[in-house]
Amino acid sequence: MAEPKTKYDRQLRIWGEQGQAALEKASICLLNCGPTGSETLKNLVLGGVGSITIVDGSKVELGDLGNNFMVDESSLGQSKAKCVCSFLQELNDAVKAKFIEEHPEALIDTNPSFFSQFTLVVATQLVEESMVKLDRICREANVMLIFARSYGLTGLVRISVKEHAVIESKPDHFLDDLRLNNPWPELRGFAEAIDLNVQDPVAHKHIPYVVILVKMADEWIKSHGGSLPSTREEKREFKELLKARMVAMDEDNYKEAIDASFKVFAPRGISSDLQQIIIDSCAEVASNSSDFWVMVAALKEFIANEGGGEAPLEGSIPDMTSSTEHYINLQKIYQAKSEADFLVIEKRVRNILKKIGRDPNSIPKATIKSFCKNARKLKVCRYRLIEDEYNNPSLPELQKYLTDEDYSIAVGFYILLRAVDRYAANFNSFPGQFDGGMDEDISRLKTTAVSLLNDLGCNGLTLTEDLINEMCRFGAAELHTVAAFIGGIASQEVIKLITKQFVPMSGTYVFNGIDHKSQLLSLY
Amino acid sequence: MADAAPPSKSRDLDKLLLRPGNLVGPSFEPGVQLRDDLQEYAKVLVVGAGGLGCELLKDLALSGFKNLEVIDMDRIEVTNLNRQFLFRLEDVGKPKAEVAAKRVMERVSGVNIVPHFCRIEDKDIEFYSDFNIIALGLDSIEARSYINAVACSFLEYDSDDNPREETMKPMVDGGTEGFKGHARVIVPGVTPCFECTIWLFPPQVKFPLCTLAETPRNAAHCIEYAHLIKWDEGHSGKAFDPDNPDHMKWVYDEAVKRAELFGIPGVTYSLTQGVVKNIIPAIASTNAIISAACALETLKIASGCSKTLSNYLTYNGVEGLHTKVTEFVKDKDCLVCGPGVLVELDATVTLQKFIDMLEEHPKLLMSKASITYRGKNLYMQAPPVLEEMTRSNLSLPLYDLMDKVPKDILHATGTINKDNKKSSGLRKLRVNFKGIDGVTDMDMAGGA
Amino acid sequence: MIKLFKVKEKQREIAENANGKAPVKKQSAGELRLHKDISELNLPKTCSISFPNGKDDLMNFEVTIRPDEGYYLGGTFLFSFQVSPIYPHEAPKVKCKTKVYHPNIDLEGNVCLNILREDWKPVLNINTIIYGLFHLFTQPNYEDPLNHDAAAVLRDNPKLFESNVRRAMAGGYVGQTFFTRCM
Repeated sequence: MAEPKTKYDRQLRIWGEQGQAALEKASICLLNCGPTGSETLKNLVLGGVGSITIVDGSKVELGDLGNNFMVDESSLGQSKAKCVCSFLQELNDAVKAKFIEEHPEALIDTNPSFFSQFTLVVATQLVEESMVKLDRICREANVMLIFARSYGLTGLVRISVKEHAVIESKPDHFLDDLRLNNPWPELRGFAEAIDLNVQDPVAHKHIPYVVILVKMADEWIKSHGGSLPSTREEKREFKELLKARMVAMDEDNYKEAIDASFKVFAPRGISSDLQQIIIDSCAEVASNSSDFWVMVAALKEFIANEGGGEAPLEGSIPDMTSSTEHYINLQKIYQAKSEADFLVIEKRVRNILKKIGRDPNSIPKATIKSFCKNARKLKVCRYRLIEDEYNNPSLPELQKYLTDEDYSIAVGFYILLRAVDRYAANFNSFPGQFDGGMDEDISRLKTTAVSLLNDLGCNGLTLTEDLINEMCRFGAAELHTVAAFIGGIASQEVIKLITKQFVPMSGTYVFNGIDHKSQLLSLY
Repeated sequence: MADAAPPSKSRDLDKLLLRPGNLVGPSFEPGVQLRDDLQEYAKVLVVGAGGLGCELLKDLALSGFKNLEVIDMDRIEVTNLNRQFLFRLEDVGKPKAEVAAKRVMERVSGVNIVPHFCRIEDKDIEFYSDFNIIALGLDSIEARSYINAVACSFLEYDSDDNPREETMKPMVDGGTEGFKGHARVIVPGVTPCFECTIWLFPPQVKFPLCTLAETPRNAAHCIEYAHLIKWDEGHSGKAFDPDNPDHMKWVYDEAVKRAELFGIPGVTYSLTQGVVKNIIPAIASTNAIISAACALETLKIASGCSKTLSNYLTYNGVEGLHTKVTEFVKDKDCLVCGPGVLVELDATVTLQKFIDMLEEHPKLLMSKASITYRGKNLYMQAPPVLEEMTRSNLSLPLYDLMDKVPKDILHATGTINKDNKKSSGLRKLRVNFKGIDGVTDMDMAGGA
Repeated sequence: MIKLFKVKEKQREIAENANGKAPVKKQSAGELRLHKDISELNLPKTCSISFPNGKDDLMNFEVTIRPDEGYYLGGTFLFSFQVSPIYPHEAPKVKCKTKVYHPNIDLEGNVCLNILREDWKPVLNINTIIYGLFHLFTQPNYEDPLNHDAAAVLRDNPKLFESNVRRAMAGGYVGQTFFTRCM
């Protein structure tokens, strides 16, 4: 076994070879390598990201030794970017690591095209003004962007990408695709060939529940004018019919059938999430449409035609009590239909590509196959520009959060994080940044916060005195544990964005290190 | 105008430790003394030097703690390197605790970390009593249960069944699996202990042996057949060693054969390892998140610089991002951290008399009690073979049987007769012997 | 809590001079629950228990079953129990130490009993397991077989099964396998 493969074993079991390959192709730019940025990057370097470029214009000070693991005493006075870069290089020599001794703000102002070369930019510890500028630059250049900030016992993480489509969303719990409420002919035929009334007790208790339910549902339909159980009474009756067929107490297959009977009653067709995706305007494809939307267009056609209102069959079945023979044969039936559906979709994809003037073979078979398998779980994430969120946050959401006990500290911090940036723009330092004059800083921060709330249209809503005091107490400190937490979250989201697996968070994550009631705010 | 403070390593931490606040712990006394005391007096033990342990050591070293110790019985493996960032390729084979301690001390000057390359069970109780806070970066229920029992054993209660603050040994416990994890604060006597909430951990899924033998359906069944059933057939007597590559290869080959026999797809070497070793997928980011939360709580508990997590944080990053704080309540009848029932008696009372006393004790009403003390079964009502073996203890003074300590904990199990209803019960008892020299305060009951 | 930490230094010195040794052995919650289960054992006369490591090690014990009816009447079967420190979160590990010709027990001593694996619940106890084992001898079944051949014979030819069992218990060959006498 090759060494790199073994080293990454524990993570390959999560995102597989393809995910790893995507990571290894990615180039990441980090802005500011204090502990927040350094910890974010550390997790990505350990994971094997392709290349990193660290941008930071500061020199290592004594205080940095107290919160940043990537610098040590020998780094004092040197470029922080250089020191962090060399430490990170040690962590994984497969990663190409570079640094640029430059203040990110300067780069943002004077050399915006610098950012176009990267897959993703991790922007840490930026103030509002720089965030807005960078956001525009990256959005224009189609470079993924994630903001991360630590401030005392609070902080935030926010992705900013125009659109991120996920095929392999790999949700924790997702209903299997058994079509017990809508069996196709081959499945029906397979079930028909098995006799539920077999005499041998071993055979009786090793008939898979899928077969039991398909047959019992069919029987019901025949005696109920063509429809499946729908009322509570009918559903109960259906379960009783199942129970009546048990010849012994220990027939696990029948118990499984009863537990799974809800799958027979479930409504047919696609979920509302999927419905939203296929009616999205991007599904009207043109020559510059992404592969994802081309496949969605094909999916839309399939659902309306061959699919009969259903998405392509996923193809796998869960484990269930069964004889090996029945189980294997049942698996084959599902795999065959899944394959058949895939071939139809593939044909449609190639036709659509031709129609929009693209090479019909430009989307690989494997991609289309994965798309089909994951069709029911597709996710499209879109993020507003920071500027829009800041200028037009969803007022009802904001008001709801500010008055909800569990949310109030996190939302309070969200407002205060913006308030301290305004404060800094006015007074050239953060409130409480220096000892002495605390009372004045508190009062100034309060005024700033109130005016911000007014600008947002939340007149009358206030933040507690305690929280404002606390924000001044923080004095813009970058605490290692908070930075490590924020960095962990940010790095995890970066991995999802780059591997295009799992669903990235939506909204703005606000960390609440006081009682850990952090919140994900959807301010759209 | 504001004064710039002279440059200090503690530049950022000072904001939390030196300044007063309103959203802080109950006994918070901000100031230079606090910061210095944290450095000089606070001793934290990190249990585990793996994915969580490495992060914990770094986080604690950069949170003002200067006296740390770390215990781990494992050696570094290649598969650790994607997240246990204190280790390099050339460290493979060396003890984790030793390398981790060394690396952190190299980078963070002033911190002292003592490594212990051994099992947690190999240490005396005195070892654990030395620490103010124990931070856990473990990956097994068994290890957590052990440390929990140790930490809770220091807890003492007063005669009003209130826990005594100076005997509380707080723990912070973290766990991760893929994109999920948890961080919790355990203050024995205040929050639930690990045992109070053991139902939070679902038991491991086990396949029926007859499915493995007769009706395998998937690759995991074939692998477990080879591992649990076929191995013994071919290697009678020799224990299967999951870390022995030859053993693993043997299981893999057998699993492949079986899969071919039944027409089952999907047996790979990687899956074989995963099933047999119960490998939990792991990444750096989740470990970083959970450890950071644990270290932050450790800082708060030690210094009071902010309110603490109350008391269980769950984290899930699979779909978006979800964190939730749940305040679990401790089980007052918990055998490990609960106060138990106070029983006071003379040093002359025999075991038989003691057992009779339990029947009348208003808080117990326990008849036919069997008694166990520190792993020694003093008297067993059943089965007959044990009853015979322990019968002779009945006539001995309980004080002697308890090694002549003035107070200690024992456990009794028997039939509880309450409100005319009989049920079986297991109770923790705080036994206090009256009139023994050395027990200055009659109100002090309990023991370790 | 930092104040307490400083106070603790002083306290430790005092404690070291006081009566009462520092406690040595830790007893896990699992051991306590096991202690309860064992003290409540209510075994039929066909089952007996022994503790090879003495009265203070309840985690490792042996149970002997002497069925008084059915195919296995007259036989003596020894089972070893290994209880984990996190009992009852985990079921005890039970193995049959006597080589037996039985559809639900294989030649290596693995026992197919649902409550030992997939159906174990912390609310069950040692008594339930012993009763479950006893039941295997009074009602062997061919539906959940570990010993495929024995199961087939029981299903197709109960008379032959009976004589195979007797021969095995008396000491002798069944097919290619030799069984030591256990009567």
